[in-house]
Amino acid sequence: MLKYLVGRLAGILPVLLVISVFVFGFVHLLPGDPARLVAGPDATQQDVELVRQDLGLDQPLWVQYGRFLGNAVQGEFGRSMKSKRPVSQEIGERFMPTLYLTVVAMVWATLAGLLIGVASATKRGRWQDHVGMVVAVSGIAFPSFWLGLLMIDLFSVKLGWLPTSGYGTWQHYVMPSLTLGLGVAAVMARFTRSAFIEIAREDYVRTARAKGVPARLVVWKHTLRNALIPIITMVGLQFGFLLGGSIVVETVFSWPGLGRLLVDSVNYRDYTVIQAEILLFSLEFIIINLLVDVLYALANPEIRYS
Amino acid sequence: MKRFALPLLAGLLAGTALAGPAFAAKDLVVGLPDNITTLDPADINDTLSQSASRTMMQGLFGFDKDMKLIPLLAESFTVNDAATEYTYRLRKNVTFHDGTPFNAQAVKTNFDRLANPANRLKRQSLLAMLAETVVVDDTTITLKLSQPFGALNNNLAHPGAMIHSPKALETFGKEIGRHPVGTGPYKFVSWEADTLKVEKNDKYWKPGLPKIDHVTLKSVPENGSRIAMLQTNEAQFIYPLPPEMVKMVEANQALELIDSPSIIARYVAMNTMKKPFNDPRVRQALNYAIDKNAYAKVVYRGYAGPLDSAIPSKLGFHVTQPNQYTYDLAKAKALLAEAGYPNGFEAEMFGRNSTNFIRGMQFVQQQLSQIGVKLTVTPLESGVETARVWGVEKPEDATVQMQYGGWSASTGDADWGLRPLLWGKGFPPKFFNVAYYKNDTVDAAIETGIATADTAKRAEAYRVAQEQIWKDAPWIFLGVENLLAGKSKKLTGFYYVADGGLQMEEADLQ
Repeated sequence: MLKYLVGRLAGILPVLLVISVFVFGFVHLLPGDPARLVAGPDATQQDVELVRQDLGLDQPLWVQYGRFLGNAVQGEFGRSMKSKRPVSQEIGERFMPTLYLTVVAMVWATLAGLLIGVASATKRGRWQDHVGMVVAVSGIAFPSFWLGLLMIDLFSVKLGWLPTSGYGTWQHYVMPSLTLGLGVAAVMARFTRSAFIEIAREDYVRTARAKGVPARLVVWKHTLRNALIPIITMVGLQFGFLLGGSIVVETVFSWPGLGRLLVDSVNYRDYTVIQAEILLFSLEFIIINLLVDVLYALANPEIRYS
Repeated sequence: MKRFALPLLAGLLAGTALAGPAFAAKDLVVGLPDNITTLDPADINDTLSQSASRTMMQGLFGFDKDMKLIPLLAESFTVNDAATEYTYRLRKNVTFHDGTPFNAQAVKTNFDRLANPANRLKRQSLLAMLAETVVVDDTTITLKLSQPFGALNNNLAHPGAMIHSPKALETFGKEIGRHPVGTGPYKFVSWEADTLKVEKNDKYWKPGLPKIDHVTLKSVPENGSRIAMLQTNEAQFIYPLPPEMVKMVEANQALELIDSPSIIARYVAMNTMKKPFNDPRVRQALNYAIDKNAYAKVVYRGYAGPLDSAIPSKLGFHVTQPNQYTYDLAKAKALLAEAGYPNGFEAEMFGRNSTNFIRGMQFVQQQLSQIGVKLTVTPLESGVETARVWGVEKPEDATVQMQYGGWSASTGDADWGLRPLLWGKGFPPKFFNVAYYKNDTVDAAIETGIATADTAKRAEAYRVAQEQIWKDAPWIFLGVENLLAGKSKKLTGFYYVADGGLQMEEADLQ
């Protein structure tokens, strides 16, 4: 297992290297002149040229890539073209808000999704199933900006219970995490239900029932434990997506996260920030995939890595 | 999961502790539409960051709430006839927030920094004509220019020319944009992600000001969330207010609508080098074919005024043109026929891809279809627009036929309203003359206007320029949008100025 992990971790580097080439190339293929955008709407040609030199954009592409890679290896991504702050600071100050919100949303959404999914599967065709699936479908169907604004109107403007937006106290987490988690909960519920129904048809479940194992134990031990594999995969994927920052939820609730930073930096052609963010997202996914693989082994001892 | 739970809990607890109520102090929260980019005014190119730095910093001149030029850190000035040498007498007994005295040396340090191209500051062009700064004595400074420039005081009133503490410039170097130290009514406290906090400057040189203890500027990009903040009194001022949300403010007893003219001109530039727009009759016809009142209603829900000259009425030296292009389809058709296009023609119009721009372009498209002009509307993302419109090297290579645009002349002066847009030497990529308009009378007037500081001579020059431009109609003159904002009735002395900037020096909460 340890050997396997070391091998997997070592494999991250070449993957990141390939990604860095793509990221760099992609960002530089975006139409538009970043120097002019950075210089601003009423900058003169002279100003634009100054900015271009300042950003090193007058150098050949391979020189720019070399510089980017050399710095990236040292964990240094240069300065934001827009704010002139180090990119690491720019991203650092937004990473934690996104991480916290993602964790809160994922925790409640995974638990709720599991419960609804199991309830729907065990009471298949009964009212619990119908209610669960209506909730799940609505969760996927409601656009989050709409839901977010409705919640603000109800809980902040009408009832005055929660702050409208922003970041800071636990009250600030309630609406964004509900909005962000709803879609995840819905996906989880549907996923759990179908995985559960499938496993429930397996021979060993039938055997367990036949030999008189209590229903509760059959559901939570024999069935759920085996259904966990696809569920873990799903949780990992969703977690990875949410860590990229939700543009809509962050915008509606003015959450200072990575999603808004990415949009802003694309609009400004803030190359350095875009590159660092995409590399970060790739790294997050690689690590999450690794964690998911480890969790597989924990969930099902039959899975061994060597 | 456990790994994440601990810092999360800690963060939540810390947040709760910080958010304790504060009753005694006067705290103002302002909801902004976007993030602040930097707080080094010399390096700012967006109005929002300018507003933010204006809370803390000041220049030799500034604008009052009506966009009139007023002295701030300068008390008086003299200028030679050639408009190449300006001498300023500075205000005495002013100190920066860090205790450094404000004096001629501080001004020199700042202006030399801004003017030096090696520093690569985005606002370098404001002082590009500066040849030398001479400290005469502690409160007198002379600026010698390399060429005549009549609008220097306006340039110095631009937020880009605001004065940093020289000590802060030295201490913070490249990080100055995160550590602003000025002479303004408020002092810097903190700036994280999307929230800027400033506090009262107890030693402010204007007695009795400011009256607010803390000001928080918060970026809230979603319109709906921003107005919710105002409704719940989490914010006492929000801007901009989308026209469709005006009713929500009006319906609330505690709130007040701010509706005032801006200096943002909206127009369609026509490429006067390309057929059919090389014929002035065609350009005039297009002007007659558009109902400007309907434009204001459709695109801005009525919150817009006319663009009755090449520059908006709030800019210095504006002259309302006597012969307005009043909506007249018969006249438009006649002019088109006279120019050889009795059945109209086809053309393409570029413009930004924001909702408001697209609505504006579609309106123009619909109006011009009445006289047989079939427009293809091509919305462009800002980066693409930059490449396709502003970055074009030679006029022959320009693909632009029509460009739906807007311009806000942030110096408040006619020069910056005309020279970048309609001067024959200002074709892209140098400036933004995307109409590729060149007229000798206008060029001469624009050049005369900037070569003297004599107000009468400048007024005459800009009168001539505006008259000629209006006749030649290189643009379809659409309108001047209003600035809309919402505020709590308890908030007084807080101004939303025509250039889109905020002034909160006199602000108070009842």
